[in-house]
Amino acid sequence: MNALSPTSAVASRALSLPLIAAGLLLFLIIIASLLYGAGPISASEAFMVLAGSGSEEARFVVSELRLPRTIIGLVTGLALGLAGALLQSMTRNPLAEPGLLGVSAGSGFAVALAILFGASTATLTSFVAQLGALAGCALVIAATRVQGLGNDPVRLILAGATLTGLLLALTSMLMLMDQRAADEIRFWITGSIAGKPLSMLQATLPSILAALILIVIVARPLAAMALGEKAAVGLGHHPGRIRFLIVLTVALLVGSATALAGPLIFVGLVVPFIARAFAGPDIRKTLWLCVPVGPAVVLAADVVSRLIAAPAELPLGVVTALIGAPVLLAIVRAGRMPSL
Amino acid sequence: MSSLSNRFHSTLLQTLAAVAVVSVSLSQAVAETRTVESAYGPVQISGQPGRVVTLYEGALDAALAVGANAVGAVITRGGSDVAEYIKSEAGDIAIVGAPAETNIEAVIAAQPDLILAPPRINQQQVALLSRIAPVVASNVPMFQPDSWERETRLFAKAMGREAEAEKVIGQVKERISEVAQVVSAKIPAGQRDAALVRWMPQGPLVMAEGLFSASLLQAVGFELTDKDLVKEGRPHSEPLSLENLSSMDQSWVFLATLNEDGDKALDAARKSPAFARLNAVQNDQVIGVSGQLWTSATGPLAALAILDDIEAAVNAIQP
Repeated sequence: MNALSPTSAVASRALSLPLIAAGLLLFLIIIASLLYGAGPISASEAFMVLAGSGSEEARFVVSELRLPRTIIGLVTGLALGLAGALLQSMTRNPLAEPGLLGVSAGSGFAVALAILFGASTATLTSFVAQLGALAGCALVIAATRVQGLGNDPVRLILAGATLTGLLLALTSMLMLMDQRAADEIRFWITGSIAGKPLSMLQATLPSILAALILIVIVARPLAAMALGEKAAVGLGHHPGRIRFLIVLTVALLVGSATALAGPLIFVGLVVPFIARAFAGPDIRKTLWLCVPVGPAVVLAADVVSRLIAAPAELPLGVVTALIGAPVLLAIVRAGRMPSL
Repeated sequence: MSSLSNRFHSTLLQTLAAVAVVSVSLSQAVAETRTVESAYGPVQISGQPGRVVTLYEGALDAALAVGANAVGAVITRGGSDVAEYIKSEAGDIAIVGAPAETNIEAVIAAQPDLILAPPRINQQQVALLSRIAPVVASNVPMFQPDSWERETRLFAKAMGREAEAEKVIGQVKERISEVAQVVSAKIPAGQRDAALVRWMPQGPLVMAEGLFSASLLQAVGFELTDKDLVKEGRPHSEPLSLENLSSMDQSWVFLATLNEDGDKALDAARKSPAFARLNAVQNDQVIGVSGQLWTSATGPLAALAILDDIEAAVNAIQP
């Protein structure tokens, strides 16, 4: 296979096979996302559209409804998967997930606040969501600084759960203050990529690109930090600076994903978990594998959300939570928790 | 002597008659304690209760329609006050809770002589509220075409204002036949198919055919359908994937959102490509309506307001 060619920077034998497999899987899920929906347009009718024919109704459903949500799902999954991997590597905690640590909740609270002050979910700038995510990140960092907390994966998650609970309570308070806003917030807070306009994507794309560039910069120092802080310093890196860049990157990614799809919980946990299982402990390999796995997980969950409640749809956030919770249990109950 | 005795007799008779009248009216006052069948058994009520607290939009509507002194009400769904359509009649009414949650202290503060409650109120609540005043919870099955009539009669009986109820129900029926004539004059048969949809932040919600406003649409001649998308056991509404919106593409689409006015609802929906391509939208036969009135309220005043909406919309059609 040509992917084994030594020209690719990441093409170590160990990684190329899972990468290709995940890429193929993602391709199949993208096709499925275009073929299946909650409406009357069947998979075969949708396939006709992909083949260049099909009825006007089918063309509309595939190109105006299923394609946009597929693209938004791709970007959301990419952002959350990468953010989860970065956060876990930085905190050396396999459970550190934006959703569990309160980063998403911080972002969600900021958006709820914006909706209360009159922004509509359609016109919302991802900037607000990113600011909220940044604040959430800052609180996580503060929590890891608390004596002993940073070394105990489960305690960090407890701290995150506390923060999430607090932010959700504040969000509920906002919802009680204004019923109109409550309707929008309630829907948005569950997480969904249905009916979101592609213009939202344009608003978040610059931040995603910036985050990807930052990842390229921090990936190598982050891998060095896995050897220990002293080793990283010895290799000429500045852990403090790296940590700051990672927090910035995570905030950009989670904020963008939250602006697009709402605060999706567990995606940042499941995706790096799968990626690590195949890529091993090297964060650079994990990050590469997150690129196809993240979108695949989100899109697969979205296809499920369309099919199990037809003619309505289940919110995507419900499905990701249903998938993610067992994974969380599996990681915690696994005899020894991998320390990253 | 005879004249004297005659006079005496007539006086006696008059006195007796007066006593009889008094005793009859006294016994009437006692007999006015009537039994009203509520969802939780019979309730004894006497006279015309002065202060009425309503825990149900349909009860507030009925109370105001029959001229009772409503002193407490719950907020409409998605709002922070009583529904817009009834605000002027309700005046400065005290808010004693939301549709599903009653603020008991607020009810006590309103000092009610009678409490009117929704069919779905639970028994514990009724037991608690009954310690404040008699509670009449509607025992009328919801989402039937005549639910509002039967509820209005029930609540009116509780308030001792049955004659007023018959009068206002008669008014509604008269308006129905008036609007039905307008519909049949303005819209050719075969083009009266319609759908009632509520636009929510997450997308469309198709409203059941049995809904109050839906039954009024049918009463004036629209052929309303929910295309069986509203499942059994969900008599109010069903959320819809955007992919299914085209199944709601009737000649007429009545579009509501909660607590925003109809025009804003239309603007929001038009931004969605799935909505913008409906034939009803392209033909400009989408009627934006208030969700508070059309998808939450019931009662004679709501009926009159909805019928006004329908008449105005149909009259606006260019021939």
